[in-house]
Amino acid sequence: MIESLQHLINGFAVAGTIQNLFYCLIGAIVGTLIGVLPGIGPIAGIALLIPATFGLNPTSAIIMLAGIYYGAMYGGSTTSILLNVPGETASVITCIDGYQMAQKGRAGPALAMCAIGSFIAGTIGIFGLVFLAPPLARAALAFGPPEYFSLMVFAFIILSNVTGASLIKSLMMAVIGLIIGTIGLDPVTGDARFTFGSISLLSGIEFVAVAIGLFGIGEVLINVSQPLEMLEQRVLIPRLRELFPSFRDLRNSIAPVLRGTGIGFGVGLVPGPAPVIATYASYMTEKRISKHPDEFGKGAIEGVAGPEAANNSACQSAFIPLFVLGIPFAPPTAILLGALLIHGVSPGPLMISQHPGLFWGVIASMYIGNFILLILNLPFVPLFANILRIPKKILLPLVILFCITGMFTVNNAVFDIWMMLLFGGLGFLMRKWAYEAAPLLLALVLGPKLEVAFRQSLMISHGDFGVFMHRPISMIFILATVIFLIIPVFRLVLRKPKEISEKV
Amino acid sequence: MKRGEAIGGMVLLLFGMVTIILALRMPIGTFRMAGTGLFPLCLGIILMILSGGFILKVFFQSNKGKVKSVSSVESPGLPMVLILFLGTMVFIALFFDKLGYPLASFILMVALLRILGVKKWARNLPLSLVTAIACYFLFVQWLKIPLPKGWLGI
Repeated sequence: MIESLQHLINGFAVAGTIQNLFYCLIGAIVGTLIGVLPGIGPIAGIALLIPATFGLNPTSAIIMLAGIYYGAMYGGSTTSILLNVPGETASVITCIDGYQMAQKGRAGPALAMCAIGSFIAGTIGIFGLVFLAPPLARAALAFGPPEYFSLMVFAFIILSNVTGASLIKSLMMAVIGLIIGTIGLDPVTGDARFTFGSISLLSGIEFVAVAIGLFGIGEVLINVSQPLEMLEQRVLIPRLRELFPSFRDLRNSIAPVLRGTGIGFGVGLVPGPAPVIATYASYMTEKRISKHPDEFGKGAIEGVAGPEAANNSACQSAFIPLFVLGIPFAPPTAILLGALLIHGVSPGPLMISQHPGLFWGVIASMYIGNFILLILNLPFVPLFANILRIPKKILLPLVILFCITGMFTVNNAVFDIWMMLLFGGLGFLMRKWAYEAAPLLLALVLGPKLEVAFRQSLMISHGDFGVFMHRPISMIFILATVIFLIIPVFRLVLRKPKEISEKV
Repeated sequence: MKRGEAIGGMVLLLFGMVTIILALRMPIGTFRMAGTGLFPLCLGIILMILSGGFILKVFFQSNKGKVKSVSSVESPGLPMVLILFLGTMVFIALFFDKLGYPLASFILMVALLRILGVKKWARNLPLSLVTAIACYFLFVQWLKIPLPKGWLGI
């Protein structure tokens, strides 16, 4: 524990260098812009800016990219409150009461409570990381290939279960992602697979192209397919009558913030789109235990403060599985894993001991980043509001230009632009037909790891599939996976007799 | 939407089938000593099972008249604007090397702005020019990213 605190202090020394502070600031500001702008979310945003970090050392690079991640989360809250448009999925809950507060001229306190709640969550969360990350890393050393395989399968099932309208569609997308992940060289034997003689395909499909295509270009195309008049619309920003929360606001928010922090931190540690689940769970908890639940949905500050704290806390604790196990549970951390690998850092149980500067530096920078967001964002609210006034018909071509430029810079190859456009078209069709892109991207990033773990497990067991059930940790994950697969089927079976009896 | 859902399932079924056929051309090996094709083969089979199940589900639900629209966007076919928008991006990708970054970004902006309704040249051209110049200075001059020089040679 004391050792961890010492490492954390060293981490602050790493994050506190002028260079890293600068990249943290840039990340937080760019992230907020990405969160505010339509047509580009945190996933495409991080992917797009990976090439910009090629010249940096891994610590500075990850500090900047992590800054973009939580900056985008904050930016998403801004549009939720001001416009009722969630910048990304985790901000959907913030729309409910945040927008109502803005309608009553209380956008300022809502935005301020987002920042204050996030900051408090970050402060408590950092101690959670100090306590939990090192023992979890030691525990993760007991993980062999079968445990990794079972955990990754479990992660896919959870993500597919909680995202999208249909489990089967999400599962199909995860399998497609795994198949796309097999393109290129076999990770064990080095033989070429599905390359059709193309040299460009030997290194596999660039995951940045898939991320920008599915989440950036796809989103722009969805916007373009709407009637042109909608692109002309300028948004009306509600006036900020007051900027700072009152003493009463703060008093009402403190307990929801603390509860949200706890909920978020716990949810971030388990597979699934943590911020989305955490914000929802926090909102429902606050509504249930509130003395005046009827105020929820009409501008209750507790409905903004709790979920926002949960969101930040979940984002922070989601770094633990990424760093400790090397397994991201959701697309934003999957993109960060890709960035780490590009920079030659392979996260896993030994990362904390082998790269303490990077691990604790990034953790400390997240705290500093939250502080930067707290002091910078509120004064900048009018600026962000003005950016929102730029019509989409001007913003969307700019987003496309940035996507093409960013994509080319990854490998200096036009081939990647083609791939991005291909996945952009696919992303558009997937959105149109309600297929979820998140499982595909996560599967693409984790695919090679999953295959290696699968093949190694079977090698160890001489081809016996029982290896996944004989080892206790692996068995728990497999059983949990089966339960999560069975639940929707049970629900369906139970619902049918009910529907029939209702009809009768 | 039933037809769309069924077509989606069919495409995925076909994708699974092609994966299996291609994987079978590779060494499969045994579970003890897996060959290159084993993992994709397993994935292809899982995808075919899932998509087959999905098609059956769509079929049975539609027979009961229960299928609701699941599309997030309701629009009849592809609008012209979208086709032009996509066409411009394909054109830029085709000639990105030859045109060079500054010219390609200028042409991209002019075309996309016009397609999306910025029709007045007095507004479109300066906006595109300023964007192209700003991007050139940001990416090429400041960040030193080696972008194609093309005909202009800059």
